[in-house]
Amino acid sequence: MNEEYAIEFRHVSKIYTLKSKNKEHKIDKKFYALKDISFQVPKGEVLGILGTNGSGKSTLSIILAGISEIDEGEMIINGEQALIAINTGLNNQLTGEENIDLKGALLGLHKEEIDKIKQTVIDFAEIGDFLYQPVKKYSSGMKARLGFSINLALDPDIFIVDEALSVGDKGFAAKCLRRMQSLKAEGKTIIFISHSLPQVREFCEKAMWIEGGYIKEYGDINEVCDHYAAYVDYYNGLSKKKRKQVNEEKFEKRVIPNDNKKGILSRIFG
Amino acid sequence: MFESVNYVLKENFSNLYRIYSIAKYELLADMRDSNLGLFWNFAHPLIQVLTYWFAFGYVLQRRAITTYGTTVKFPFWLVGGMVIWFFIHPCITNGCNAIYSKVNVITKMKFPVSVLPATVVMKELFNHLCLMAMVFVIFIIGGIYPCLQWFELIYYCFCAVVLGISLSLTTSVLNMLARDVRKMVMATMRLLLYLTPILWDFNRLANAPVWVKFIMKANPIFYCVQGYRDCFFFHKGIMFYWKSMVMFWGVNVVLLVFGSYMMYQFRHKFIDMI
Repeated sequence: MNEEYAIEFRHVSKIYTLKSKNKEHKIDKKFYALKDISFQVPKGEVLGILGTNGSGKSTLSIILAGISEIDEGEMIINGEQALIAINTGLNNQLTGEENIDLKGALLGLHKEEIDKIKQTVIDFAEIGDFLYQPVKKYSSGMKARLGFSINLALDPDIFIVDEALSVGDKGFAAKCLRRMQSLKAEGKTIIFISHSLPQVREFCEKAMWIEGGYIKEYGDINEVCDHYAAYVDYYNGLSKKKRKQVNEEKFEKRVIPNDNKKGILSRIFG
Repeated sequence: MFESVNYVLKENFSNLYRIYSIAKYELLADMRDSNLGLFWNFAHPLIQVLTYWFAFGYVLQRRAITTYGTTVKFPFWLVGGMVIWFFIHPCITNGCNAIYSKVNVITKMKFPVSVLPATVVMKELFNHLCLMAMVFVIFIIGGIYPCLQWFELIYYCFCAVVLGISLSLTTSVLNMLARDVRKMVMATMRLLLYLTPILWDFNRLANAPVWVKFIMKANPIFYCVQGYRDCFFFHKGIMFYWKSMVMFWGVNVVLLVFGSYMMYQFRHKFIDMI
């Protein structure tokens, strides 16, 4: 095991089961959400992950966060990782302040730790007196601000940011980016998943482009971004029929020839 | 087997603050939901007890219940047993939903799933303590005065907590496999209210076959109900019911081991089951 790397993936695959379309085919299809993913992220690197919708980015993020298990391959993670999720754990009935306590507790912080980060969160979120209002009265931007601020106050070694900056206004996004820059300077490893190419270009050093569950390209940020941008333009330029064909080809590559579905008992005792 | 029990217990005990916070804020959110808040925590069980008292005590003319030579007026006897039922019932029905209702949390952060049944039970425990305070007042007004035996209530309350957690461990995982489990549990609980000697006295079964009595006594909920009534009225002590006690903890250990095993097996798979 190499300690220099924060994250190391060796031929990792993740399989989902698809319900069959018509009821007559009782056997469900299996499907590679991610297939044969291998890469290494050195400590302190900022990696951008690009890819069109449905190509496996979010699956990768929950695998990285340790929420979901992999089906094949090997994954080595050195350090504590945290997924930056915006709206989760916020209870609509509770006030902003209570939500800081609750979300802090959900994330596993102790009382003293929560008290310590509370002021930082309040300052960062900049929601003013809304702090004492129930969250149901918040605008979606304000919710995102609060949720994101709580997450940023944590101190893990590896941050996984999944589309978190797409909500909220530009000013707040810029503030978050600045905060992440300072995290980067502290030597944190950051995995940045975004559709916003300018943000990725500005922030990341390396990029990985996933397409249809496979790694299409992995390397220097500008190179990958250029190729990705070109691909998106090409894809959008395709005729409807051609696009459908491309999608089907991609899909076929991911489906696994089905094996017998395990019964409920073998799932419990297997 | 032991590995999984160890895993679940360790996860629960190392996350006590997390359990407390989740329970606290769930309660708070519930109360904010309605205008009268805490009032309903008292009003709801009170109305239910009045309903049963009307049906059984008034219409069916149950005057007083005599057990082990102590006679207790029916309304008090009913309250003494119902109070623990009002704790166990929501523990089991909500416990079943413990993981499923927190899906948005467990899919978005690394979370010790096995603490969720305990959070549900903790939340209900608070309601139970409120209710107990009310019951004490009712009993004192009715002329049943506190005595040392009432301290044994703590033991029986602990029994109910353990029962709630062990059962919820199993049902909450099963509920993730198939959502039908919760529907089944809710229907079964309605049945259990009548199958457990809560609204009727166990001595009415005096002429029943032995195996019927045995099954009735093996019901872990009955052990708690009987224990509460004993503390309030009969004062026989914990050891008087040692056979039921062995049975209760036996059932409990089986539930706990099986529940922990399920939880351990599926701990990383919940996200793929939604």
